[in-house]
Amino acid sequence: MKKKLIVKKNFLMSLFAVILGLIAGAILMFVTGSNPIEGFYYLFRGGLMNIERIGNSLATATPLIFAGLSVAFAFKTGLFNIGGAGQMLIGGLCATAVGLTFDWPKPILLTVIIIAAMIGGALWGALPGLLKARFNVHEVVATIMMNWIAYWTVFYLVPLYLKGPFLETESQRIPMAASLKVSWLTSLFSGSYINLGIFLAIIFVAITAFILERTTLGYELKAVGYNRDAAEAAGIGVNRNIVLSMAVAGALAGLGGATFYVGFASNMQIGVLPSQGFDGIAVALLGANSPWGVFAAALFFGLLHTGKGFMNAMTAIPPEIADTIIATIIYFAATSVLIERNWDKLNKFRLALRLRKSKQESLEDDSGGEQ
Amino acid sequence: MRKWLALLLVVVFVFAVVGCATEDAVVDEGEDVEEVAALRVGMVTDAGTIDDKSFNQGTWEGVLLAGQDFGLETRYLKPGGTTEADYVTEIGNLVDADFKFVVCPGFKFETAIFDVQDRYPDAKFVLIDGYPHAGDWEPVVKENVVSIFFAEHESGFLGGLAAALQLQEGEVAFIGGMEIPAVQKFNWGFQQGVLYANENYSTQVVMNADNFIYQGTFDDVAAGQVLAAAMFDKGVDAIFAAAGGVGIGAINEAKARAATGQAVWIVGVDVDQYAEGIYEGDKSIILTSAMKYIDVAAYDMIKAELDGTFPGGEILMFNAANFGIGIPKENPNLDPEVEALVAEAFAALQAGTLVVSDVQGDLFK
Amino acid sequence: MDYVVEMRNIRKSFPGIIACDNIDFQVKKGEIHALLGENGAGKSTLMNILFGLYQPDAGSIYLRGKKVNIVNPNVANELGIGMVHQHFKLVHNFTVTENIILGLEPTRALMIDTRSASAQIKELSQKYGLNVDPDAKISDVSVGMQQRVEILKMLYRDAEILIFDEPTAVLTPQEVRELMKIMRNLIDEGKTIILITHKLREIMAIADRSTVIRWGKVVGTVNVADTTEEKLAEMMVGRKVLFELNKKEAHPKEEILRIEKLSVAGSGGAKGLKNFSLGVRCGEIVGLAGVDGNGQAELVGAIIGLRKILSGKIILHDRDVSTLSIRERISTGMAHIPEDRHKHGLILDYSVQENLVLKNYYLEPFSHKGLLNWDYIYDHAERVIKDFDVRAGEGAEASARSLSGGNQQKAIVGREFDGNPDLLIAVQPTRGLDVGAIEYIHKRLLEQRDQGKAVLLVSLELDEILDLSDRIAVIFNGELVGLVNAAETDENEIGLMMAGGKRGATA
Repeated sequence: MKKKLIVKKNFLMSLFAVILGLIAGAILMFVTGSNPIEGFYYLFRGGLMNIERIGNSLATATPLIFAGLSVAFAFKTGLFNIGGAGQMLIGGLCATAVGLTFDWPKPILLTVIIIAAMIGGALWGALPGLLKARFNVHEVVATIMMNWIAYWTVFYLVPLYLKGPFLETESQRIPMAASLKVSWLTSLFSGSYINLGIFLAIIFVAITAFILERTTLGYELKAVGYNRDAAEAAGIGVNRNIVLSMAVAGALAGLGGATFYVGFASNMQIGVLPSQGFDGIAVALLGANSPWGVFAAALFFGLLHTGKGFMNAMTAIPPEIADTIIATIIYFAATSVLIERNWDKLNKFRLALRLRKSKQESLEDDSGGEQ
Repeated sequence: MRKWLALLLVVVFVFAVVGCATEDAVVDEGEDVEEVAALRVGMVTDAGTIDDKSFNQGTWEGVLLAGQDFGLETRYLKPGGTTEADYVTEIGNLVDADFKFVVCPGFKFETAIFDVQDRYPDAKFVLIDGYPHAGDWEPVVKENVVSIFFAEHESGFLGGLAAALQLQEGEVAFIGGMEIPAVQKFNWGFQQGVLYANENYSTQVVMNADNFIYQGTFDDVAAGQVLAAAMFDKGVDAIFAAAGGVGIGAINEAKARAATGQAVWIVGVDVDQYAEGIYEGDKSIILTSAMKYIDVAAYDMIKAELDGTFPGGEILMFNAANFGIGIPKENPNLDPEVEALVAEAFAALQAGTLVVSDVQGDLFK
Repeated sequence: MDYVVEMRNIRKSFPGIIACDNIDFQVKKGEIHALLGENGAGKSTLMNILFGLYQPDAGSIYLRGKKVNIVNPNVANELGIGMVHQHFKLVHNFTVTENIILGLEPTRALMIDTRSASAQIKELSQKYGLNVDPDAKISDVSVGMQQRVEILKMLYRDAEILIFDEPTAVLTPQEVRELMKIMRNLIDEGKTIILITHKLREIMAIADRSTVIRWGKVVGTVNVADTTEEKLAEMMVGRKVLFELNKKEAHPKEEILRIEKLSVAGSGGAKGLKNFSLGVRCGEIVGLAGVDGNGQAELVGAIIGLRKILSGKIILHDRDVSTLSIRERISTGMAHIPEDRHKHGLILDYSVQENLVLKNYYLEPFSHKGLLNWDYIYDHAERVIKDFDVRAGEGAEASARSLSGGNQQKAIVGREFDGNPDLLIAVQPTRGLDVGAIEYIHKRLLEQRDQGKAVLLVSLELDEILDLSDRIAVIFNGELVGLVNAAETDENEIGLMMAGGKRGATA
C-alpha cells in the first residue's frame, strides 16, 4: 500500500516538475519575443506529427533510456555515475569493432555485438567501482576521468583500426548486418531511425526493474545504497556490491552506446563525448530512479530533442534559444528533487490552512451560539 | 507503475490531438501571410556554432546576403549531434517547414544528403565540401543536389607563398583541426607554397615535421592556444591555422605575444580573419588568409536556383580559375611586392601553368 | 507571583506529532526545577523553545514577569538564559578559554585578549568550585570536565537561568555527585536551574520541584519533598511501574565466547582496546560497564567484525573467528543489537519486512536461487511482528522510518532473536526508549539468558548493567579494570572502577 503511495507521489512530482519546466520554457520564449503556445505546438508536433517522427522520437529516446537506467541503477546503490558518456563510448567502440570485424549472419552478429558492448561498458564502470571500494576514490571523480580516458581511447583506436579508406575522423560505415536498424522497422516507421534498440531498451527496463524488486542482488544493492553501515553490519559485502553495481551501470550505458553507434548512428566519430551520457542524469532524476520512470522520462526528452528542430524551423526562435529552452525544461524537470523537498512543506502548509479553517469554523459556531 | 505510464501517454496524446486539431488553421494562416512560391532557404550547421568565424559563418553570410538581395526568408538549424541521423532530422525539419532549398556545409553531410535527395525529391540541396554517397564513397548526385568542392590546396598554396615571401627567412608551422580532406589539402598546398617560394624566390623558410599537427577537434580553443604557444616557443614565426575554434586559440596566443612586442603571425583560413587578429588599434597578427569563397558559392547557388539555372546533379569545383579561392583583396601586413608576386602565382594557377598537388606525396602528413 | 520563568499555553507541533500541547510551566527564582518525562514526551522541545531554537506555534513566555519574544539563542543569551546540551558544543583543538570566549572574543588593539579572559574564567571557576584549567585543551580533558566548560560558558555570559539537558548521561556516579555539588553552589550564588531528566533518583537527590510531562501535556508539578520515586514514575508513565525485574538465578554453563588479549586501534583519537580478555558463558549475562569512549565501540566492532584487530583472538564455539567475514560470524551464531539503531541496525527506507530479513534474505526459504520469496518474507515478518509486539501502522509493509523508536528497537530485537543465536551482543539496547519498551526488552534479554544463551550487554546506564548482569566487567581506557559478580558489588564500586580504580583499592 505504502509503495503505491510513494509511486503516486513520485509520479505527481515528476509531472509537476515537467509542467514547471514547460512554464519556464514558455517564459523564456515569451521574453525572447516568441509566442509560447506556437512554440510548444511546433515542439510537440515536431516530435509526433507523423509516424516517421514518432519513430525518430523513440530512436532518440533509446540511448537516453539506457543512460538513464545506468545512472538510476548506480544511484540505487548510493553511487553517482557521471561516467555514462565514457561507458557509452567504450560500449559503442566494442560494438563497432565487432560489427566491422566479423562477417556473421545478422542474429549471431547482433548478439555478439550486444554482449561485447555490455562487457566493455561493464569494465569501464567496474574500474571506478573498484577504486571506490579499494581506495575510497570518489566515484564522481573517477567516472569523469574515465570519460576522458574513453574519449582519447576512441580517438586513437578508431583511426588506427576502424577507419575507412578516406576519413581519419570516423570509423567505417557499419554494414547492414551489424546494424540494429532493420528494414521492416524502418519501413514500418516510413524511413525513421528507429531500430531494435528500442525493444532492447524495453527489455532491459523490465530486467532492471526485476533485478531491483525481486532478486537478492537488488535487495543487497539497495540496502547498500540506503544505508551502507547497516548493510555492512548485517554481513552484506558492501565493496563487492559497489563494484557490481558500477559494473551493471556500466553495462547498461555500454548497451546504450551500442544502440547509439550501431543503431541510431551508422558509424563512430572521434572527438565527441555523447551528450546522452550526461542527459542520463537528468533522465534518472526526472524518472525518480525507477526503471519505468526512467523509461517515461527518456521518451519525454526524446520527444523534446526531436521536436526542437521543427520548432526552430517553424518559428523565429533561433537554435541557440531553442537549446536554452530545452535545457531549461530539462533543468526544471530534473530538479524534482527540490520539489520533493518542498512537497512536504506544501503539505504542511495545507494542513495548517485546514487547521486554521476548522478553528475559524468552530469559532464561528461559538459566536453563532452566543447570538 | 503502469498507471502513471499510461497517464504520461495520455498527456502526450492530448498534445498530439490538440496539435492536429489546430493544424489546418495554422498552415492556412502561414500561406496567407507569405507569398506563394517564394523560395525559402535553410541551412544546417556543421559541428560548431554559427559564429565560428569560418565555415558555418561563411556559408550563412552567403545565404543571408542572398536573402537580402532577393527578399527571401532564411533560417538555420543546429543539429543535436553530429550523426547522420541528426543531420537528416534537421534537414527534414527544414523541408517540412517549407524551406525547400537547403545548404549544408561539411563532408559530414555526405551520407545524409544521399538519404534526403531521394526522400525529398521536390527540395534542392547544396552540399559544400562533399558529395552524396551511401558510405562507400561512390558518388551519387541526384538532379536536386549540387555538390561543391574547393581547391583548398590552391588556397593553402597562396597562403604559404605569401607567408614565405613576407618572412623571407624563419620558420612556419601548421595547426589543423581534424584530419579531414579539406584541412589536409590546405596543409599540403601550404607546404608547396612555402617550398615554391624557397625554390623560386630564394627565401629561406624552414618547415619542421613536428610542427605540422592536427589537433583533432574544431572546437578546443584552449588546445589551440597551448599548441601555438609551444610552437612560438620553439622559434616558429608564422602558423597556418586551419582549425576552426582551435585556430581561434592560436590567434589568441599570437595576439597576446604580439601585444608584448613579439613578432609572430598567423595565416588565417576559410574567410578573411584579419579582424579576428587585431590586438592594438588596427594592427593584426593575421598575415593573410587562405580563403575559400564559401559565401560566394552559397550565394551563387541560390541565385542560380532563382534564375532557373540550378546545376543539379553536378559536382562543382571552385578554384583559382573561377575565383573560388584566393587571399583577401587587402592585406595590410603584406608588402605590395609580395602581394604582386602572389597575384602572379594566382594568374599562373588560373592559366594552368602552375599546378598544385592535392595529395600528400612526399610532403608532411 | 515571583516566577522567574513562566511559559504559558505553549504549543508546538511537528509533522505527525504535537510535541507540546498547551504547556504551562513556571520556575521560581533560586530553585532547581526538574523537568521529568520519557523520551519524546516533549521536554527537550519545550526547553529548545525557551532557548530560542524553536518558535512556538502558540503561547507566550514571560521572564521576570515581562513578556519576551525569544527568536534565537542569541536573544536567550542576552536575557540570561544558558543551556548545556546533551551533546557538548565544543571545539576540540581549542583551549578551554578559547572555547568559552568563542563568539564574543574580547579584543584589544585587534588582538584577541585571551589573557584577561583566562583570568576571568579562573576566577569564575574558583567561585563556583568548578576546578577548570582555562589553558587546557578540550581534547585533553575528561567528559566531566568538558561539561564544566559548558557550564562556565554560560556563567561567562552572565546567565541567570541555566538549563541542563540530561547532564548525567555521560558521567560516572562519582562525577554525578560532583555535578550536584556544583549545582548547589550555583543556586547559592543566586542562579536558577532547570534540569531535564528522566532519572528519578537524581530528582529526588537534588531538585526542589518537578514538572512531569507526558505526551506533550503537563501531568502536574510537585514539590519533591512531598513525593516519592514511585509516584513520580507513575506520573511519568501513566501507570504503576515495576522496579524489580523478575530475575531468576542464573545457571551458567560452558564458555561460548572467549576474547584473548585483544587489541584494537582506536578511531579518531579514541584510545582503542589494549590486551583485553573476557569470557562469556552460556546462560549468563555479562555486563560491560564503562564511561563512553573507553573502548566499548572498539571491542564490539572487533567481535562482530566491523573493525580490524591488531592482535589477539576472538574464540566463538572453540573457533577463532577474528579473520572471518561478518556474514560468516553471523552464521556461526552471533547476533548483535547495535548501539545506533539508525546507523547500524535498520535500513530506514526499507519496509519492516525487508528489515526483518536483512541478515538471512539470501537463505532458503527467504529466497531461492537469487529470487526473493516475497510471500514467505511477508509471512515471516507478520510472525515476528506478532511475537515481538512491534506496532507498525501498516504492518509488514510499513517503512521502518515510520516506526517509533521503541518499535524500531523491538523489530531489531525480533530479527536478532529470530535467528536463535547462541551469543547476543546487545549494545545500549534501551537507549532512548520509554519505560514500557525498556521493561519489555529487559524481559526478553533475561528470557534469552534463561534459555541458555550467552549475552554480552554493553551499556552506559549503570542501573541497567546492575539490574541485568550476572557478572560485570568494567572497562577503562581500553583495558579491563575488573570482573565482578553482580551480586557482590554495588554502584559505588563499579563507579570507582569506571574511573580507573582497581577493585579493593578503596574498599
